[in-house]
Order: sequence, then C-alpha cells, then structure tokens
Amino acid sequence: MVHKRLGILGLAAVALMIAAACGGSSPGTTAKQIKVGLVTDTGGLNDKSFNHLAYVGLQKAIADLGIKGDVIESKNGDEYVPNLTNFASKGYDLVLGNGFLMQPAIGTVAGQFPNVHFAIVDGAGTDASFKDLKLPNVQDLLFKEQESGALVGAMAGMLEKQGKGPANTHVIGAVGGISIPPVNHYIAGYKWAAAMEDPSIKVLVGYSNDFSDPTKCSSVAKSQIGNKAEFIFQVAGGCGLGALQAAGQAKVYSFGVDADQKDADPSVIASALKKVDVAVYTSIKSVVNGKFQGGETRFSLQNDATGYTLDNFNLPADVKAEVDGLAAKIKAGTLTPPADIPA
Amino acid sequence: MTAISDILHLLFTANLWQATLSAAILLLLPALGGVISERSGVVNIAMEGMMLTGAFFGVVAALAWHNPWLATGVAILAGGLMAAVHAVVSIQFRADQIVSGIAINIFAAGLTVFLINRIFGLQDVGHLGPNEGLPYISIGGLDQIPFFGKVLFQQNIVVYVALVLLVLIHVLLFRTRIGLRIRAVGEHPQAADTAGINVFFIRYSAVITSGLLSGLSGAFLAIGVSNTFVPNMTDGRGYIALAAMIFGKWTPFGAFGACLIFGLGEAIYANNSIIHASPYLLSMLPYIITLVVLAGVVGRSSPPAADGIPYVPGSE
Repeated sequence: MVHKRLGILGLAAVALMIAAACGGSSPGTTAKQIKVGLVTDTGGLNDKSFNHLAYVGLQKAIADLGIKGDVIESKNGDEYVPNLTNFASKGYDLVLGNGFLMQPAIGTVAGQFPNVHFAIVDGAGTDASFKDLKLPNVQDLLFKEQESGALVGAMAGMLEKQGKGPANTHVIGAVGGISIPPVNHYIAGYKWAAAMEDPSIKVLVGYSNDFSDPTKCSSVAKSQIGNKAEFIFQVAGGCGLGALQAAGQAKVYSFGVDADQKDADPSVIASALKKVDVAVYTSIKSVVNGKFQGGETRFSLQNDATGYTLDNFNLPADVKAEVDGLAAKIKAGTLTPPADIPA
Repeated sequence: MTAISDILHLLFTANLWQATLSAAILLLLPALGGVISERSGVVNIAMEGMMLTGAFFGVVAALAWHNPWLATGVAILAGGLMAAVHAVVSIQFRADQIVSGIAINIFAAGLTVFLINRIFGLQDVGHLGPNEGLPYISIGGLDQIPFFGKVLFQQNIVVYVALVLLVLIHVLLFRTRIGLRIRAVGEHPQAADTAGINVFFIRYSAVITSGLLSGLSGAFLAIGVSNTFVPNMTDGRGYIALAAMIFGKWTPFGAFGACLIFGLGEAIYANNSIIHASPYLLSMLPYIITLVVLAGVVGRSSPPAADGIPYVPGSE
C-alpha cells in the first residue's frame, strides 16, 4: 500500500512539473525569434522525398523568415510522442509533425500543450483510433495527392496506348508503402488516369508495409516487373528508392514521388510532386505573421502544390500536351480524380 | 479462396523461387556463421549486430571508393571485428554469452545511427550509382534452362558465393579433421584439450568466422540489394537466421532448408500486388509458416553439449 501511494504522489509531482513547463512556454511574445521544431517520420531525412521536402521547407523558412529551426528524426513510431514533446516542452512556437502515422501522437501532445502551435502534414491531431480531435492549436496540412498521381498515370497510359512502353505489355504497377490515405490517393489517381488513357491497361497495386527499407520495395517492384509491369510508380518514401532501382535494373520505366527524383535512378521518367516544402513553409509563415489558424489547409493544383516534373526521358510532345491538358481540367474542376483506388 | 489459388499459382512461377533464394541467402550467411560458432561451443545471437555493422561500413566504403569489392571486404572485416569483441568477452572473460550477444546487437544499432549523424549529419547517406553495387550475374548457357535457369543462375554474385560456402562449410564440419576438432570442442572441451586441441584458438576462429559471414550478408543487403544504408536495415534477419540455425539442428543444410522456408514467406509477401488478400494478412505469412514449421515439421533439436559454457582450462 505504501508503495502504491508513493507511486500516486510521484505521478502528481510529474503532472505538476508538466503543467509548470506548459505555463512557462507560452509562445507569441513580441520581438522574440520564432522557434520551429520538425519531427520527421521513420523514412528519415535521406528519403529523397517526403521528409527531405519538409526539411527543405524548414531551411527556406530559416533563410527567408529568420526563424530558428531544429529537426529530430523518428527512428520508429514509439519516438513520435517523445520527439514532439521534446520540442513542445522547450518553448518552441511551432512543432511540425510529418506524416499520417503521427496523428495520434500529435493529438496527444497538442492536447497537453494547448499554448504551443502544431502542424501536421497528411493528417490532423487525432485520438488513438485516428478520429480527428479538432484541436484549435493544430493545423492540418493536407494534399490532393490523387492529382499528381493522375498526371503520371495518364503519362503511362498514353505511352502504353501509343506502343511506346519498353515491351508494350499494357501492364503498369504502383508500389505503396503502407495502405493509408495519402498513399492510396496517389495510387487512386494513377490507376484512374491510366485506365482513362488506355482502357486495356492492367494496374498492379502492391505494398511493402514499410517506408524506409529499400529492400522491401525492391522485392515488391521485382514481383510486379516479373508480372510484366513496365512502369513502376513508387509511393513509399525512402523504401521506394528500392523500387526505382529495381525498375532500372530490369530496364523498365519508373515514376518518382513527392520530390523530383530524377537523380535517384536513370529509370525515373517523371515524378509526381507533393510540395511538402510549400506546406511547411506556409505553416511557419502563418506563425511568424501571427495568422496561425487551426484546422484544415488543402494543397492542390489550385495553389501549385501538386503536379509533375519530367525527368530522364524525352516525352513525346503530344503526350505532354495530353498530360498538361488533364492538369488544366483538374485545376478547373471539370475532371476530378478519385481519392479511393478504383476497382 | 481466390487468395489461396493465387498463391498456389505463384508457387509454379520461376520469379517467386528466384526471389525466395535471394531472400534465403541473406539469412543463410549469418545462419552458417551461427552454426560454426555454436558447434565450437559459443552461443552467438549477435549475427544481427554483426550484419548491421557490416552493412553500414560496406556502404560507407562503397560511397568513398566506388568499388563494391573493396567495400565488401570492409563489410566482412567490420562483421569480423564485432565478432572478435564477442569472442574476447565470452571466451577470454567467460561472460554470459547471451548477454554479450544482446549487448553487441544494441551497440551496433546505436553505433550505426550515431555514425550516420556524425558522418552525414542530417543529409542523405547517399545511394550507390547503378554499377557501383555487387553485380547480378547471369551464368551463360545455364541461365537459359527453363525455370531453374532463372531461379539458380540469374542471381547476385553473393548468392553463388554463399551456395559454394554452404557446401564447403558442410564438408569442413563433417568431413575434415578441423571440423572434427570444432565439434569436439563444442561437445566436450575438456576431452578435446586433453587430446591436444587448442580450445581457445578453435573457439576464437569459429566466432570470428561467424562475424565474417554475417558481414558478407550485410554487404549483400546494403551494396547488393538496397544500394544504401538505412537505420536498422537488417530488420531482424540476424534473429531469423538464429531461428533457422536451430530449426536446422545446427547443420548447414538444415539451416539452408529453414532459410528457404523463411525466404519463401518473404517472397510470397512481395507478390501482394497479384494476390487477392489484405497485405496486412500476407505480411503475417512468414511468421505463420515459422509457427507451423516449429510445431509440426521440426522435431526436438538439441544444441552441442558445451554450447554456451565458457571453457576453464583444468576444470572438470
């Protein structure tokens, strides 16, 4: 019994300390340098895509807005809460979480530090079952990934229809990390647009169950290539670099994701863009200007945050025109790519 | 039901077995290392850490020198060095071999992440160029054999090396005088010592060999398959190799059989694009196979009699 009581006393003391820390860290005092902490997802900063872009956005804010910025990489999901808490408890003005899987952690920590601003790419502050808590101090930075997916999907479909695939098999593939909305948005747009351009096309969709280990995406891509896929779209961050290389080894084409990945492998003919850097920068700027607002901010073709870039390939002019035409239609709202993967 | 017929159909494709063999070899090399180490009487659960260390230094060397062969040498040496630590701690200082092994695994995970931050900072570790990794080699003529050509003769060079090592280690352990000595030291070191065998020398060599083999596996993983290093990229393969060694009853070919079963699970999962089942469900497959094999196929297996017991000269 004595031990139990001591335990409760200890807990109370910890709670007091946390409360004190919260009180001491209220942001927004004038003439103070804004401090921003970025917590990456497990893909790590060297994923050449998602986390790398968040870092680029932070660097730009440091250069342009004169803020102080720091980064912690999460090696696994257990580190989200401690990493976020680390920044929040040290008086950072804005704590950025990068990634869908970090939502419950953001929900927990943002609830504990109501005076700290939070922003999360690809999600919101949620409870453990990913239900949005609608916290006023959390900014949700969401993308319409299906738009970018559709643009590279249309490119693959057009090339297949014109007989310009490596062996013209009418089979293409997408290697996702984990089956979560931001990944599936991309794949949904890809499949939808490819089938629109080439109705005979078959789209293989696989998952590596991982965002960091290239070995796993490489083996999923090899399986798809073995089943005649000749365009591989990677949607798996650092893991997906293995898919791009598998495509290169097999002499088929690939599409990069999030960032321009033309340097990741010669097989990359184009990349589907998701300008996480723009989202991160926009969010930091809102704090600097004192205009931070909780809730959803959507990034899409409308605000030039999605799109595609051409890489190691000489794309025929008519294909490019078709893809750009599709982008214009999506931007104008006359065509809407689906958010869920079509059957 | 479609999922089951999808998998059955897969079992008749060369692609699946090619991927199975490749995945199995990543496990076989550390498993062979484990067999040698434990046959000499030193419990070795540190293959994971040795492999990870090998993978890391292999990538660092490959990025620096752009030469996969030199880098592989560095990876093998790095694995061997970690093993030497285990050898000194458990043979010389007679520490608990399980504890030493766990310490090495944790140390390797921490060391590699620490060095990434020191060497590369927050920047890209870097990826090897298309021709800077260990090559995939098709063996002319043989690779054209239907089915088996693709499975056996269109593989990474490490796969061929590992298969040769498998046979060599089997012959070494069970057909040569050295092998007899290794096994004698693992079963009854006092008797072996009395017969004039240098117990310490045999055990040191065996443990360090396990590190060299694990380092080679790390090289295959990092500069053969992935072309980069990511933290904890060995992903438990050293532990699965340990399980394979036990399933295989501390024999090279037994361990190889177990590695093939694990590799098959991994390869089937990689085909989730063409199997009509939840990828989550499929990702459990390797573990379900493990449980079934453990419960049903493999009977009792017992380690060498002196496995895990430090040798004290003159003791009974």
